[in-house]
Amino acid sequence: MNIRWTRMSLLSLLIAAVLILPLAGCGSNGNATGAANKKTVIEYWHVNAQTQGGQAVDQLVKDFNAQSKDVKVIAKYNPDMYKGLMQNLQAEKAAGKTPALVQVGWAYLDYFSNNFGYMDPNEAINKFDPSDKNFLKDKFLPNILDLAKTSKGQIGIPYSLSSPILYLNKDILKQAGLSENGPKTWQQVQQFAKVIKDKTQKYGLYVQEPADTWAQQSLMLSNGAQIIDKNGKATFASKEGIQAYQLYADMVLKDKTALHVPWDQGVTAFINGNVGMLYTTVAQMSNVEKGAKFNVSAIPSPPFEGHPAKVPAGGSFLAITAQTDAQQKAAWEFEKYLYSVPAMATWTEATGYVPPRKDVADAKDGLKDFVAKNPMIKSALDQMDKAVPWTSFPGNSGLQAEQAMIDTRDKILGGQEPVAKALKDAQTQINQLEK
Amino acid sequence: MPANKSRNALLWHLLLLVFLILALFPILFAVSNSFKTLSESYNSMLSLIPGKPTFGNYVTIFTTLPMVNIILNTFIIATLVTVFKLVTSYFAAYAFTFFRFTGEKMFYFLFVATIFVPFTVVMIPNYLIVSKIGLLDNIYGVVLPQLCDATGIFLLTQTMRTIPKSLIEVSKLDNIGTLGILRDIVFPLTRPAVVSIGIMFFINSWNEYVWPTLILKNQANFTLPLVLQMFISSEGGTNFPIAMSISMVTMIIPLILYIFFQRYILNTFSQSGIK
Amino acid sequence: MERVSINRNKLIAYVFIIPSLVIFAVFLIWPVFYTFYLSFLNWNMISPTKQFVGLNNYVSLFQDPITYKILINTFIYLGILLILNCLLPYILSFVLEYVITKGKNFYKKVIFIPSIVSLVVGSMLYVWILNPVSGPVAIIFKHMGIYLPIWSNTSGLVLVVLSLITSWKVFGYNFIVLLAGVSNIPAGVIEAAKMDNVPLYRIFLQIVLPMSSATGIYVFIMTIVQGLQYVFTPINVITQGGPNYASSNLIYHSYQDAFVLYKTGESAALSTITLLLFVCLLWLEFKFVEKKVYYAGK
Repeated sequence: MNIRWTRMSLLSLLIAAVLILPLAGCGSNGNATGAANKKTVIEYWHVNAQTQGGQAVDQLVKDFNAQSKDVKVIAKYNPDMYKGLMQNLQAEKAAGKTPALVQVGWAYLDYFSNNFGYMDPNEAINKFDPSDKNFLKDKFLPNILDLAKTSKGQIGIPYSLSSPILYLNKDILKQAGLSENGPKTWQQVQQFAKVIKDKTQKYGLYVQEPADTWAQQSLMLSNGAQIIDKNGKATFASKEGIQAYQLYADMVLKDKTALHVPWDQGVTAFINGNVGMLYTTVAQMSNVEKGAKFNVSAIPSPPFEGHPAKVPAGGSFLAITAQTDAQQKAAWEFEKYLYSVPAMATWTEATGYVPPRKDVADAKDGLKDFVAKNPMIKSALDQMDKAVPWTSFPGNSGLQAEQAMIDTRDKILGGQEPVAKALKDAQTQINQLEK
Repeated sequence: MPANKSRNALLWHLLLLVFLILALFPILFAVSNSFKTLSESYNSMLSLIPGKPTFGNYVTIFTTLPMVNIILNTFIIATLVTVFKLVTSYFAAYAFTFFRFTGEKMFYFLFVATIFVPFTVVMIPNYLIVSKIGLLDNIYGVVLPQLCDATGIFLLTQTMRTIPKSLIEVSKLDNIGTLGILRDIVFPLTRPAVVSIGIMFFINSWNEYVWPTLILKNQANFTLPLVLQMFISSEGGTNFPIAMSISMVTMIIPLILYIFFQRYILNTFSQSGIK
Repeated sequence: MERVSINRNKLIAYVFIIPSLVIFAVFLIWPVFYTFYLSFLNWNMISPTKQFVGLNNYVSLFQDPITYKILINTFIYLGILLILNCLLPYILSFVLEYVITKGKNFYKKVIFIPSIVSLVVGSMLYVWILNPVSGPVAIIFKHMGIYLPIWSNTSGLVLVVLSLITSWKVFGYNFIVLLAGVSNIPAGVIEAAKMDNVPLYRIFLQIVLPMSSATGIYVFIMTIVQGLQYVFTPINVITQGGPNYASSNLIYHSYQDAFVLYKTGESAALSTITLLLFVCLLWLEFKFVEKKVYYAGK
């Protein structure tokens, strides 16, 4: 009886504490907003987990808040990458609100511009920063700026630029008697993988398989295929597209030299030395570097024989979604801060993302020292002239088109359908989706 | 015959042991990885004892994040949700079991049918309401739509139905009021069910992340599952050892509660059982 | 006098259900009607134009082979989960209570522990542990010369593994609940049967099952209700419904339609169908199962 009652009163004490504690918390919260009252408070939505520059975001926001007289930024982390951010943005918009500045993944370029209110960065500059009219033209390469452009104009400014590179396990290559400089073309990748399998019984290659087909598109592009034509029609089921996919499918299904697992598992298998080569984003650089115990290096994305390499730009652009003048002004002030040379350098060092600005890589307060110390990122920097937009299928069904590409990858690599048929069916299906 | 019997028992024990290993291995794997460095977690998959145990992962999360706030938030949300759900479910179940009223069957069916409403259906409408009330980025905004629960009503009604009606009739004759019957007769008989349902509510709320992700913005308002999400990234890679150390922190509190209340819980179960 | 008391009782009853009713009405029932309304629209939730399309969303769902694939998956999931999370703990609790009696509390405590862990963590753990190339299980099997199948990309197998992950979490909770129910059967009945040398399986089927059926139904229903919602998390973390919808179920698919592809109308139609399906199951349960339940004391 006694024990029961002490337990009971303990429980009620706990509950009482729970009810009172947050009230105390509210008080201190109130103070915080009181102090910041003079400043315009804006929200910056990002997708950067702590392993993907999250700490750098916190640092940049803190530094900015410390030096800005009239703006205070609150950073909101959105789990589950650009898809997760888009879900939250969707809910926020339905509630009639918006954050001020958001990171938008490239695959959402079209969907975002069709469905959300945004401020063209040129307009923001004209309005809030007229003294620096040529900021975009002077500081960004035209092919990079174009990544964030649609028929509607400039939607935002490229921010996180990721690029697929080929990571090499030099120890495995050595053991298999292969050149430690790695393969020069995808045809050689296939040969390398066969030798690795024969000599070491390990897998030769893993190509990333997330919930998008970025890497697979890169393969097709590097064999001279086009994903969509000028009119927005899907054309990837061309001879070149099929040939590129066939090589990859053969490695998985016929040679059994390429691994076909989800992204996480594939990367893990490479890092603990079970796969010779890994084709994935440069953003995995620090994960690979910290995890691997073997000699690891990276080379630029290879082309197919007789074609130039092409890399679709991954990552995101920043778009101003603020609706009021004051918020827009504050958003631009913060955005410009993020694009300053030191901030860009901080960003690249933390993430491996290639800076979209021209002058960061060589600047003294930029990346000069960092690149010297981290040769892997050089392969990504070197291939920036080969960057092309990651196909964002146009129209309201663009996201369904991307899903069809994923389903097609499953069908091909699962051996359920031959490459040519699967790609042709997908192309037909995508072209029949309502625009 | 006895030899045969004890051999059988041995076989069953062996089988149960296999079960224990299957249940515990992932937990041991998590514990051991929370003390490993990133490189070791990748490279020594098999060893459950870290080569060079490090507290670094724990230090990282406690120094870079407002962990005390975060643990408190998680605790407040889970406790409020549990208490409210139990109270509202209990009264509703009591009404459905012991009173006959117009629309009773309809209401019951309506309530129970809501169990099957997928959360995708309610996510956006609930977000709109919470936002209109001005509870975005506030832990009470997370709690608000979860003040009652159809599963609780269903399970408690099932349990109360096992109480013989005669018991209630007798108490009525003794002129004990409704609240008196509820407190002194029905509650003691249903306590095991209340406890087990309460545990379920608490654990589910404690580990919830889809809904809080939508509502909470500031790190100071985060809950533990959201902190876990901060270290999971497909693009930048997941920091497995740190994720595991957060999981350990997340596990430890329900575990302490379980151990602390265990005798109480086990007793209530075995005293009357869920009939 | 009698009538007054009945009226008073009615009033109390309404007071008791009103808190739940209000919350349900606002946060669950209204959204369901709203969803029903959305299922007749072509809309993405935020665009200013809502296009009324009548039954088109339903028609296109019924014409889509993927819908049937997912429906079948859903029932396979239910079947596996019922075996893993209802039948298995049932048998185990019987064994622990009546066949071997030593160590009951120890087993009970330990088996419950995984129930505390979130499924996100569980899914992450299993992605590592069951990594078919380099995980601990793969390494052990490799030493025996066995190569693990790539389960996440194998139709059929992927359903089983995702169910196992879910079951790792749910098993312990169901187990202690069932154990409580089973241990409540008067010991004399079982002893008498044992004296008569009735085989164990018959004791289980003919005495234990019927006499603990109230608890059994509870766990049975919970397994069905929560199973699909629980299995959502490993699907989302590990396969996103793939390969080619082989691991998707009704709930994940409607999530994917609504929050990945923003086809609100089709997602709403699918949710409506799901809801109808489950209400039918519920109605069947009310109609046929409830009556046969054994309540001690009645």
